[in-house]
Amino acid sequence: MAKEKALLIDIKRCIGCLSCETACKQLHGFGASPEPTLSDTAFTVVEQRGDKFVRKLCMHCGDPACVSACPVGALGKSALGPVEYDAGKCIGCRYCMLACPYQVPRYQWTKLAPHVKKCDLCSDRVKTGKATACAEACPVQATVFGNRDELINEAWTRIRSDASYVPHIWGVEELGGGSVLFVSDVPFEGLGFKPAPTGNRPMTSLTESALGDSPKVVIMGGTVLSALYWVTQRRREVALAEAEEKAAINKIKKERS
Amino acid sequence: MIARIKSEITLWRVIVAVIFITGIYATYIRFFEGFRASTNLSDQMPWGLWVGLGTLCGVGLSAAGFGISAAVYLLGMERYRPILRAAILISFLGYLTVCVGYLYEIGLPWRFWHPIVMWNHRSVLFDVCVCIITYTAVLTFEFAPAVIEKLRWKPFRETVLHYHHKILIGVVLAGVLLSSMHQSYLGGLYLIASGKLHPLWYSPYMHAMFYLSAIPAGLALTVMAIYLCMRSLNVRIDFSILSDCGRMIQLLLVVFAFFKVLDLIANQAFGYAFQRTSEAGYFWLEVLLFLVIPIALLSFERVRSNPERLYWACAFVLAGFMVDRLNVSINALQTAMGAHYVPKWSELASSLLVITAGVIAFRYAVMHLDILPKAPPKPAERWLSNGGLAAQA
Repeated sequence: MAKEKALLIDIKRCIGCLSCETACKQLHGFGASPEPTLSDTAFTVVEQRGDKFVRKLCMHCGDPACVSACPVGALGKSALGPVEYDAGKCIGCRYCMLACPYQVPRYQWTKLAPHVKKCDLCSDRVKTGKATACAEACPVQATVFGNRDELINEAWTRIRSDASYVPHIWGVEELGGGSVLFVSDVPFEGLGFKPAPTGNRPMTSLTESALGDSPKVVIMGGTVLSALYWVTQRRREVALAEAEEKAAINKIKKERS
Repeated sequence: MIARIKSEITLWRVIVAVIFITGIYATYIRFFEGFRASTNLSDQMPWGLWVGLGTLCGVGLSAAGFGISAAVYLLGMERYRPILRAAILISFLGYLTVCVGYLYEIGLPWRFWHPIVMWNHRSVLFDVCVCIITYTAVLTFEFAPAVIEKLRWKPFRETVLHYHHKILIGVVLAGVLLSSMHQSYLGGLYLIASGKLHPLWYSPYMHAMFYLSAIPAGLALTVMAIYLCMRSLNVRIDFSILSDCGRMIQLLLVVFAFFKVLDLIANQAFGYAFQRTSEAGYFWLEVLLFLVIPIALLSFERVRSNPERLYWACAFVLAGFMVDRLNVSINALQTAMGAHYVPKWSELASSLLVITAGVIAFRYAVMHLDILPKAPPKPAERWLSNGGLAAQA
């Protein structure tokens, strides 16, 4: 049984050398020049917040909004952790981009056959037991790759051994938790981490209640409408019979007089 | 000769020609040069005018078809039968424009059939796709008799219409459920955009709000279309039917307003309406056009019973509804998504092309098929079953 993998990103250790960015670009064959934000040729970027550096990348949620949103199931969460994209299924509706709470998926706007682009946690490498390119490239172990449960222990070890850390691992519980974890020595709110819209529940809970109601609504609505139809038909029949009866009586009356 | 050609050139024909030329050029850019050249969409604003105007407004304004067919077929409101076919035709053409618009919207249009075979039950958009496909089929079925009855081959015509009539009620029932479902699912699409959609519009009951607002808007469009047919296509119809539609629209708008207020209170979002933000401005524009003005206008007997005034009251409903859908799909998202989106001319031009094609198809259908009674007025009985006996009784 394969264990769920994850990345642990240590904002205290990060020196902003952009090795992870470069390694990622090299692996995917993109140009080497760094980009300010995520793009269809930059699956991770290092953003500067004050004197701190914060990596942006796909959070590989445990129950991802994008996976639930995709109408054709082109996105999927693998047992190993990565949220993978099947370019052969995608129709290009871009609903994943609207659904993602972190605004991670990017689109190839300039292409005639565009696809969605985002970090896939080096899915192919991870399958063969290797670490992600970014973790391998990090010179100070600010990004480390490993089994998710072991990385959570590692994170707590770092937090306990150094009082300057904020006693919280971001990504263990937020939006149901994911496969990218952060620890930091400054509060996360100041680093551009937005409060999770659904707290510790996954984003998918938002649509589940609405979709879950629909069978009930359909059955009830169908029954009520059928009943109403029966009533109106019955009333029409009665009215018709009465009208015919009246006509018949009138006819007889006429004949008698 | 030249004089004859000159007399054929009218203002509206020139406008239609301009729309067609720019629209076809915009379509060329969209399919042969891509999104970057034809739209102002970006990673921050992945959905724009095509979704807001083409899909959300297109489906919403096609709501009269299921509303009127439920009223006539299921609830026995025979009074509305004269406008039934017009309502179904508007819905049918509306859904066709949505289906064509879908090809513009998706990045890989040749894969349009993927949702039919690749299912994801958890996706609201999947449900929307399936409902729209099935309901378009239902509308084709409901509208088919208008074409079939014009066929010259009598045995075929009679057989088809006979069996059509036998299963009609079942199909109508399925259609009402299907369209109720996806009218609300269109709002449900935005449930997952929590934290992005502005609180004045975001609500856990967005799907219900979309459903409630679509029906009056669809009715308003139907009233407007029939009024224009009366004015220009020699259609003669008992105007009191449209007056009653006006009353119905007003009632539905009041119901929507009631739930909107409750919704804003429940979400503690009322305060946002009084902030000095552009969202608050768009919100009040929507409230004014969609609720305040039409509800006020339609409460006057003088407005409801005058065709032209009723037309303009409905025009406010239509405009307000479009503002609402564009607010949800564009304005309410911009701040949180960090986007500044103004549609490119080609987005508008291609949308107008598809809509105009629908309007022209409607016109020719009304001219050549028995959609609405034309002058000289035919006896009312023609539209009633049992020779009108049931309605008289």
